Amino acid sequence: MRIGILSCGAVTPGGIGVESLDSPWPQKLVESGSRNHSYNASLVDQSLPEITRWGKEPRLRRASPIAYYMTEAASQALSAVPDIDLSRTGVIASFFLGCLVYSVRFYKQMTTEGRRFASPILFPETVFNSPVSHLVSTLGTSGPVYSQVGDKSCWANSLRTAECWMRRGNVDNVLLIGAEEFDPYQLDAFHSAGWMRGKGLVPGEGAGAILLTSKPSDQSVILAGLSDGYCYSSKSEALTAGVECLTAHPRKSKVMPTATGWVQQIESKVVGDRMLSGISHPFYEASTASAVWDTIKAARLINQGLTQDLIVPYWGLSQQFGAARLTAPSFTS
Amino acid sequence: MPSVNSSKPVITGYGCVTPLGVDVESTWTRIIEGRTARSPISAIEVQGCRVTEGAQAILPEIPSLSKKQLSRLSRSSRLALPAVEGALQMAGLLDSRGTSIYPRIEMSISTTACGMEMGEQFLNSIWQGHGQGQTAKVAHYQAQQQVSEIHRHFRFHGPAMIVANACAGGGNAIGHAADLIRADMADIVLAGGYDALCELVYAGFDSLQTLAPDACRPFDRGRRGLMLGEGAAFMVLESEAHAQKRGATIHARVAGYGQTTDTFHLTQPSQDGKPLEKAMRQALQEASLSPSDIGYVNAHGTGTPFNDGAEAKAFANVFEGHSTRLSSTKSAIGHTLGAAGAIEALICIKALQTGILPPQINLQDPEPLVSEALVKMNERADLNAAMSVNLGFGGSNAALLLTQP
Repeated sequence: MRIGILSCGAVTPGGIGVESLDSPWPQKLVESGSRNHSYNASLVDQSLPEITRWGKEPRLRRASPIAYYMTEAASQALSAVPDIDLSRTGVIASFFLGCLVYSVRFYKQMTTEGRRFASPILFPETVFNSPVSHLVSTLGTSGPVYSQVGDKSCWANSLRTAECWMRRGNVDNVLLIGAEEFDPYQLDAFHSAGWMRGKGLVPGEGAGAILLTSKPSDQSVILAGLSDGYCYSSKSEALTAGVECLTAHPRKSKVMPTATGWVQQIESKVVGDRMLSGISHPFYEASTASAVWDTIKAARLINQGLTQDLIVPYWGLSQQFGAARLTAPSFTS
Repeated sequence: MPSVNSSKPVITGYGCVTPLGVDVESTWTRIIEGRTARSPISAIEVQGCRVTEGAQAILPEIPSLSKKQLSRLSRSSRLALPAVEGALQMAGLLDSRGTSIYPRIEMSISTTACGMEMGEQFLNSIWQGHGQGQTAKVAHYQAQQQVSEIHRHFRFHGPAMIVANACAGGGNAIGHAADLIRADMADIVLAGGYDALCELVYAGFDSLQTLAPDACRPFDRGRRGLMLGEGAAFMVLESEAHAQKRGATIHARVAGYGQTTDTFHLTQPSQDGKPLEKAMRQALQEASLSPSDIGYVNAHGTGTPFNDGAEAKAFANVFEGHSTRLSSTKSAIGHTLGAAGAIEALICIKALQTGILPPQINLQDPEPLVSEALVKMNERADLNAAMSVNLGFGGSNAALLLTQP
């Protein structure tokens, strides 16, 4: 089955739209929730009208920032192809941390004010599945809907789910979204996990959306291959997992640099001279949102004619690796 | 043309841990005896909540792990590992050392709260001013860590789809496993769900005032809410060809799967039951069966006014005029959230195998729309097909159709 990319959308710390992937992104020093640490973070400007406009939608009025980010990104992808059949369009949302801001707020409220005073309005908004429910309700798709969770590599499995739905003939299109929102306690968690050591990484937030189709045009970048489920529980296992993950793709395909933090060393060893030159590593890490942004960047590089065949690795920081191979529409090999 | 494997995926092994028992047989025995697991909650702090009872599991022993190793596991993993072991053991996929005979097995898993108590401990440690050592367990909060623990324990790897479609997720996880096999993308998939009691979720349901202050009474006009529970259930799905090639015993088939999203409200189903009805009809269509073929439906039946009202309408719309029997086992086991769909599918398999129907307990004044269909104690039926239905926050609906081998 031939699967192609129809359209994309993004909400990033650099702004709104996929063009924001090219603009300089702000970084600012943020104090962690515990106030024990301060680290740089790269955050979305929540006052942008493209984001605040969703507050007028009844379902999104009380929703968490992540729901706004993903609805805006998804809306961009859908509005680029107004003629698609929304009843034949599935939706898959991928999350690493999900509705973190409201989860922390709800738990803090119930532990400080007493369990009986926990907010019944806040609790449903902490559920992983709530943002995509708002999105589907607001944008009007009526195909199957999944929320999937995992580390960054979760995105590779979401692509696999989309392929499965298309192979089964359940849908013609699948709207895939990766989204994350930032909370200062995330800095404490990343610090505890050792992810901020040394070169570290800059936590980010935002959303990306890609609309896949089982009926690609002769202009569509093609999802030519997928590797998923290369797990590790130590750095030495991570090296093996990285090698196996990339071995699933042709040796001659170039690889886009996407690793952040401690995984950069692994990526460097695994990829070697297959790394696409002239592309810098992302400085930020927004997990599933980053995975989508990396995929969009790769598709744009192919559209610009800079390469015809590119592997995009999804280096999960906590459990596993996956990778997608994208090719130009006319590429045959 | 869609690429489809026309044979129905088969189930070659299953296992569970529930508040009624540490394995399938003890759970099933107590269900058909009409027992309930409702008791005061002691596993988590519930002081200050309006309701302080629920369905709490006894954590099974895991002899292969040391005390230190056990202390590192989340409560979710303590529930999930024995359930996975039961499924893999029954399917004949474990060697003499208790490790998988296959190095790669795909997984399709559901959870809503992951290892939430680890996240709660992390925040509490910070607020109490503890150092990094106390907060390092935060990584165990995430769902992929429970997957890692299953991988490490049974020594296999592979893609893992972790679906978080709230309380419909268990049904989605099994349905997705069947989809992967039908799409010729996998020969064998370990599918299921888990969720453990945790403070955030318990207080959340308490804040919504959806917890039953006394017995949970699904499909009773006097129903006052759900009984929160915990548990895990897993099953091994295979293509028929794969199962036959290795000589595995086939216990049941996943003949159909339907899923829809109800956009009526974030936490309430559409009161006409139409989106759920659509999911049930999708499952029937995929299985090429008619409503008269379905002998038993295990309902989501939380015992909340809105859920059971919508579900009763959907059931009546699909099965009116047929002799299909209906019950919700949540009054016995509790609402196990991400595990519910998997546990209830497993109960359907036991009903298919034994011909015994799980009774609808705690019933005093049945909902008129379904009163004639609700299963009484000691009912038996010659079942060919059974359906498991689940609904979740966010409007997720899932319907699984299971048949005899």
